[in-house]
Amino acid sequence: MSTMTPVVVPDRAPKKNRNAPKAKMSKDARRRSLTGWMFLIPAAALIGIMMFWPMLQALILSMKTGKGANLNFADPLWYNYERILHDDIFKLTVTNTLLYLVIQVPIMLISALLLANILNNPRLKLKGMWRTAIFLPAAISLVSYSLVFRTIFSTDGLVNDWLMALHLVDGPVNWLGQPNTARLVIILGLLWRWTGYNMIFYLAGLQNIDPTTLEAAKMDGAGPIRTFFSVTVPQLKPMIVLTVIMSINGTLQMFDESYNLTLGGPANTSMTMSHYLYKISFQNNPNFGYGAAVSYVILIMVAVLAAIQMKVGDKRD
Amino acid sequence: MKKFRTGLVVASTATLALSLAACSSGDSTDSSSGGATGGDAMGNTLTVWAWDPNFNIYAMQAAEKIYQKDHPDFTLDIQEVTWDDVQTKLTTLAQSQEYDQLPDIFLMQNNAFQKNVINYPDIVTDITDSGVDFSQFPAGVTAYSTIDGKNYGVPFDSGTAINAMRTDVLEQAGLTIDDFTDITWDQYETLAKQVLDKTGKPLLSGQAGSSDMILMMLQSAGASLFDDQGNPTIVDNAALKAAITVYAQMVKDGTFSEVNSWDEYIATLVNGTAASAINGIWISGSIQSAEDQSGKWAVTDLPALDGIDGATHYSANGGSSWAVSSNADVALAEDFLKSTFAGSTELYDEILPASGAVANWLPAGDSAVYSEPQAFFGGQPIYSDVLKFAAEVPANNTGAYYYEARDAVSAAITKIINGTDMDSALQEAQDNVEFAMN
Repeated sequence: MSTMTPVVVPDRAPKKNRNAPKAKMSKDARRRSLTGWMFLIPAAALIGIMMFWPMLQALILSMKTGKGANLNFADPLWYNYERILHDDIFKLTVTNTLLYLVIQVPIMLISALLLANILNNPRLKLKGMWRTAIFLPAAISLVSYSLVFRTIFSTDGLVNDWLMALHLVDGPVNWLGQPNTARLVIILGLLWRWTGYNMIFYLAGLQNIDPTTLEAAKMDGAGPIRTFFSVTVPQLKPMIVLTVIMSINGTLQMFDESYNLTLGGPANTSMTMSHYLYKISFQNNPNFGYGAAVSYVILIMVAVLAAIQMKVGDKRD
Repeated sequence: MKKFRTGLVVASTATLALSLAACSSGDSTDSSSGGATGGDAMGNTLTVWAWDPNFNIYAMQAAEKIYQKDHPDFTLDIQEVTWDDVQTKLTTLAQSQEYDQLPDIFLMQNNAFQKNVINYPDIVTDITDSGVDFSQFPAGVTAYSTIDGKNYGVPFDSGTAINAMRTDVLEQAGLTIDDFTDITWDQYETLAKQVLDKTGKPLLSGQAGSSDMILMMLQSAGASLFDDQGNPTIVDNAALKAAITVYAQMVKDGTFSEVNSWDEYIATLVNGTAASAINGIWISGSIQSAEDQSGKWAVTDLPALDGIDGATHYSANGGSSWAVSSNADVALAEDFLKSTFAGSTELYDEILPASGAVANWLPAGDSAVYSEPQAFFGGQPIYSDVLKFAAEVPANNTGAYYYEARDAVSAAITKIINGTDMDSALQEAQDNVEFAMN
């Protein structure tokens, strides 16, 4: 095994010649380029109006302070951001969110990868059924599944009934009433809802792997595990980077599960950052300036983590 | 490959179907809420937001019929909007200053009244001079909707607290309702253990992490989470500490069963897993939905806190008031409320037996309907009893930060039950409320 040479992955997408000399645009070419820009304008304008303009307004809003309609520019302008540093509940929600991230994302992505690999096995029977079954949770509304999980894990719910029938517990477990079990239920819910979704990305990625590379590995005497780690995973890397970024992004902005499944409780120990942001803005005395500042902090966290991911994942070897 | 594609097709069809279903339901709510704008355009129609078809919406419909006797052209456009949605809509509309989307009249939780009017004074109309005689309502109730001496709401339902108990369960434990009348919480705890030992049933149930019970105990002693200046008084609050001690002990003893959702709480009453309920009188509506328990309930007053000055047997939880919006046909809306919810015994006589909506309007209490025996409660005339309780309820200082304080205290209770020291948990709650306030 130690003499095995690394499998050379053929680069199938030919690199563009970036150094091609720029020809002066002819009149015709200029017109065509203009047409291209015309096609771009509607979408660009929509994104600008619907996304970037509100983001700019939120940035301005985050510098204002006051409850309800009495909003004024804060003194100093970064007052709300400074305030976040002293906010114990926000710190707790950051801890909760990062906890979900650290525990749930690796488990989910690894099991998605394994499932994709198993389901890609050409000898597997009823492949379509398995794939559909595992993907189907991703088609269910976040609110619906959160409410179903809430019911299943209630004190008189299905899980407690089963555990008691199997004599694994003496009395009903108050799943949603204790900090760690409530967090566990959220993580279980996330795994159920999103593993199949990520699996589809890996399955699509697996279709693009040249079977000859796998054959070559086999010829060189690599077992299935070695093939998986040395041949399959490196070729799936772009897909893995994509799913990691999407999962991190999604977890940091998670709202539905916290709001519907555990209602943030008990004692805020399962509340996510976005749920807290909603609470600040709509359920408590509306403090939109502070809410906007919290949303910008979330944005910065997402951006920083995504940047790190891109940097790490983009290493070309 | 083909199988994979079929799978995807099935999955994507399912997604599409679900998203279409989501769209269509979204459309229908949109079109109904779009109707909210018409309120001020038509001379004889008022748009109303309320949330319970069996309770406040039913009462509005009854009021519509009564007002129509003198004003045949008059109609109401009542829209069912849950309280959470009312709050979100009010905030959104006020923040974006789209006041023309407001209905003419909307129902507001008493506990949220101060917060909304202080933060968004432009969503409501001052109805102090509307001709509604506010002295005909208990002062403790109009206080919720009075801000800076101006009245902004006509009180609707009463949140007067009752202690409703299963007499058949008490009997099994060798007790009667009289054993629970005019007692203290210490005595109540002892009796609760007796009931648990004999029948295996907890006396009380409630949502875990909800502070409703604690706040009722607090109000029964005339205490609050805020002082008169509106500063939080969560630390060094003897009544609060006494209430939390009782609550935590009962949870520990198993005489208070904590559940996780409102539905589960109602189920404990309807399915008979809990032997009593202490809550606002509006809980009687839910209790009475269990028809097989008819005749097995009775109502008495609440236990009083031990060793607290001003402790009484009376409290309140919830209740709501009608507000006239800034977008209203003010003259019509005021006249409508004045002639119905603040001036029609007939209205209260009709809605009481059908929906259990106990009036805050004092003249309604003189009506014979209130003293009728209720078969469900073993022939006890519970509504006239409730009116007697209502007159004794100490006023509660809610303030604009009521919800923040309630959340903070709820979190503190959860921590205390899980073993945190009470003083440090309450200090943390106080810090969090003070943080939210500045």
